[in-house]
Amino acid sequence: MQPFIRTLIAVASLALLFGCAATGESTEEQTGVQPDFTGQPEWAGQPGQEVYSYPYGQAPSGWDAYDFYDTTMAGASPGIAAVQPGAQPGQAVAGAVSADRVVYFDFDSAQIRADSRPIIDANARALMGNPQIITQLEGHTDERGSREYNIALGERRANSVRQYMIAMGVSPQQIRVVSYGEERPVAFGRDEQSFARNRRVEIVY
Amino acid sequence: MNRVFLLLGFLLLIHGAMAQAQQTIDITKGIEDGGIPIAIAPFGGGAPENLAGIIAANLQRSGRFAPRPPGAPVDYAVVGQARPGGSRGWVVQFQLTGAQNASLLNLSFDVPANQLRPVAHRISDLIYEKITGRPGLAGTRIAFVGRSGDFWFLVVADADSRNPQVILRSTQPIMSPAWSPDGRRLAYVSFEGRRSQIVVHDVYTGARRTVSAAPGINGAPAWSPDGRRLAFTLSRDGNPEIYALDLTGQTPVRLTDNSAIDTEPVWMPDGGIVFTSDRGGSPQLYRIGPGGGVPQRLTFEGDYNARPAVSPDGRYLAMMHGRRGRFHIAVLDLANRQFRVLTPGGADESPSFAPNGAMIIYSTGQRLAAVSVDGSVKQDFAIPGSARDPAWAPYGR
Repeated sequence: MQPFIRTLIAVASLALLFGCAATGESTEEQTGVQPDFTGQPEWAGQPGQEVYSYPYGQAPSGWDAYDFYDTTMAGASPGIAAVQPGAQPGQAVAGAVSADRVVYFDFDSAQIRADSRPIIDANARALMGNPQIITQLEGHTDERGSREYNIALGERRANSVRQYMIAMGVSPQQIRVVSYGEERPVAFGRDEQSFARNRRVEIVY
Repeated sequence: MNRVFLLLGFLLLIHGAMAQAQQTIDITKGIEDGGIPIAIAPFGGGAPENLAGIIAANLQRSGRFAPRPPGAPVDYAVVGQARPGGSRGWVVQFQLTGAQNASLLNLSFDVPANQLRPVAHRISDLIYEKITGRPGLAGTRIAFVGRSGDFWFLVVADADSRNPQVILRSTQPIMSPAWSPDGRRLAYVSFEGRRSQIVVHDVYTGARRTVSAAPGINGAPAWSPDGRRLAFTLSRDGNPEIYALDLTGQTPVRLTDNSAIDTEPVWMPDGGIVFTSDRGGSPQLYRIGPGGGVPQRLTFEGDYNARPAVSPDGRYLAMMHGRRGRFHIAVLDLANRQFRVLTPGGADESPSFAPNGAMIIYSTGQRLAAVSVDGSVKQDFAIPGSARDPAWAPYGR
């Protein structure tokens, strides 16, 4: 993992030096579909840059992506290194959401379970008491099924929580919804316990 | 010479027809033997690449050939050399011979040293096409989403799993890459900014354009056959529906209207669209005409059919097929409605046709693999790490 990160840093530095196209997308709220042209934007490289793009055939020289993968895989079975919890900084993002902001769901269901109501109730009251706060409800699924179909299932779950909150009196303007489907698991096993932890809506604010 | 070749071609056709006739419905085992015996002698001349080895591996991987050591009885033989010289640094010459030493191909290339490997792919495809009558895949590429640590990668690699190039690195998920018909652009879903959007990405310049960032889902982009429109999924009207956007315009047109989930559109060669919907209770594939209309259900097998892919000739639909909790790659022959399960199954997903229609690449959830449309040829991609959402690039560029 460490050589991997170092390589990435090297790649990012090369991108800065040599002027590979690097793109930062706007995160402003948009209504409707508004194509925007962000092909040759400002230099990336500011902290928090999320996305770097590189022209095919002009990847930073001296970098062999294949060796890079092999380095990543050293000492691990194929496909496992990327999902080791200890080697999964991405988990920190999800893990940062405390248990009192996570709503769990049954398999193939978007129904609010009775044991989830106290959690939604508490967050809804917090939002009603702080109308300036905007929450993002992030829907997730387990890994079974097609990825895009799971995006739709995750949105159903997030919308269930949204409707419940609105019924409690939270302003719709305070709620945004996004579905990550199966793309951001918090548990990496292929067992029912892991699946159950991944079928969730995170209330982020 | 032509007669010999025609006869061989005829025998191959018969052989292929017999293999077809023996096809069972559930094909979950690879066929190990078979393949046209061909000898590829080591290329002399001191090139830094093992050209004969590359060609043999390409032909072997196609499933249609059985490369044999020199001296073994074969139907075809390849001899060649790569020597320093010519206007660009290296001269690569090869000859393909058939029965009675009849010369079928005899060609020469002037290339720089860094094009020796691509030339070996080109020679492989020339041999493949000369003998099978179909274009080969050695010179093609694949795109896929890689995952490691904190990052998602969009990778373009050669079809032999070599030369991977990370054309996009993101700290947010990347999903569903789809090649434009000209092979120059990829459309995909990006979650940068912690919201979904559909991006069209010029592979050769790195330029990116967000074509849809509506509230809710922006998902599952698919190119129209002429490359001028994208179909995708939006949920901005409350639940996921299929839309089509003319890329010169700004306003997507809605093609479905149902309270169920409608997603994963793909374009048929005739302009119709096949998509996944759970309007019947479980996810199944449906078809609408170019302008929408009443969807016609296409799949009835098992309890889960999703993520369609269309063969280049429009005859086959590949899909993710679930039965009894396992997911397989299956194919529906639209000409005769025959439904075949092609993989043993597990978490197989995201099928994508090779541009010659012969192979389907897919993800096992962790690795990439490919299977032929008749299930007889299996192929693994030597891509370490977590790889998914593969898309086989079209011919061209």
